[in-house]
Amino acid sequence: MGLFMILFTLIGGITLSAQSSINGTFSRKAGTIETTFLTFLTGTMFLTIFILFFGRGNVLALLEAPKWQLSAALLGTMYLLLTVMAVPRIGVIATNIAGIAGQLVVGVIIDHFGWFNSLIIELDVKRAFALVFMIISLYFIYKGNKRSNEKPKHRISK
Amino acid sequence: MRFISYLLALLAGTALSFEGAIYAELGKTIGQIETSFYNFFMGSIIMGLLWLFFGKGKISYTIEAPKWSLLGGVLGVVYLTSIVVSVPFVGVGIAMVAVIIGQLVMSMVIEHFGWLGSKKTRINKEKIFAVISMIVALILIN
Repeated sequence: MGLFMILFTLIGGITLSAQSSINGTFSRKAGTIETTFLTFLTGTMFLTIFILFFGRGNVLALLEAPKWQLSAALLGTMYLLLTVMAVPRIGVIATNIAGIAGQLVVGVIIDHFGWFNSLIIELDVKRAFALVFMIISLYFIYKGNKRSNEKPKHRISK
Repeated sequence: MRFISYLLALLAGTALSFEGAIYAELGKTIGQIETSFYNFFMGSIIMGLLWLFFGKGKISYTIEAPKWSLLGGVLGVVYLTSIVVSVPFVGVGIAMVAVIIGQLVMSMVIEHFGWLGSKKTRINKEKIFAVISMIVALILIN
């Protein structure tokens, strides 16, 4: 079950990267706020139909759910706004890398303490090593992107 | 000032992890697809307001744009639903690493071929090392 879930989440990552390319192209002509608005709107339309036919949960239970759980919707918007603020100052790659670092570290911390009633997975030596490898990976992403961005310039100067 | 921008970006990432953990909890009570629906519904309202007050772009471009460029929302639904479903089983840490690997590999492929209107950027040694280190991390974290 665990492995299947990891694969499912990998697909989630794949669709997310396709989304950012598509939205990047769309936003060049439509604008950032407009693109995000449209993304949420079409997502809502799609899910409305999907829930009507396949929904097994209870949407109305939202009204009774604890408010702190509902506040998660604001976190997604916060992510977006903070990213938009950071990108013009430090660039897309640096913003993404810093974002990923924050995401991973907090992910491991939430697991360690079992916050929000989640699974408790302790931060042991293995997990600490995993974090080190992720930092190495981020370093290579930074270097790799720097190199592929520098190349065209050299060709022009030659 | 640059330092603050790095901090903002870092904070943005932490927001995603918190979001994943909280939505997993909401998903247990109201249902997973329902949780995705809630996210997109609230997002539409928040972004709708932001658009009304601060939108400077051209929303009418939606009608002229190539149809494939309107698929962002549906793709986002797949991402969010996968998080809400998997976090209760594997925890936030693994879910986030898996998402990042999927994102990393796919964006390299997309940029390598210049798909979906992206700028063509070739895959190089460093990027392959990055993916390998990330996969090692996933194995260790599991």
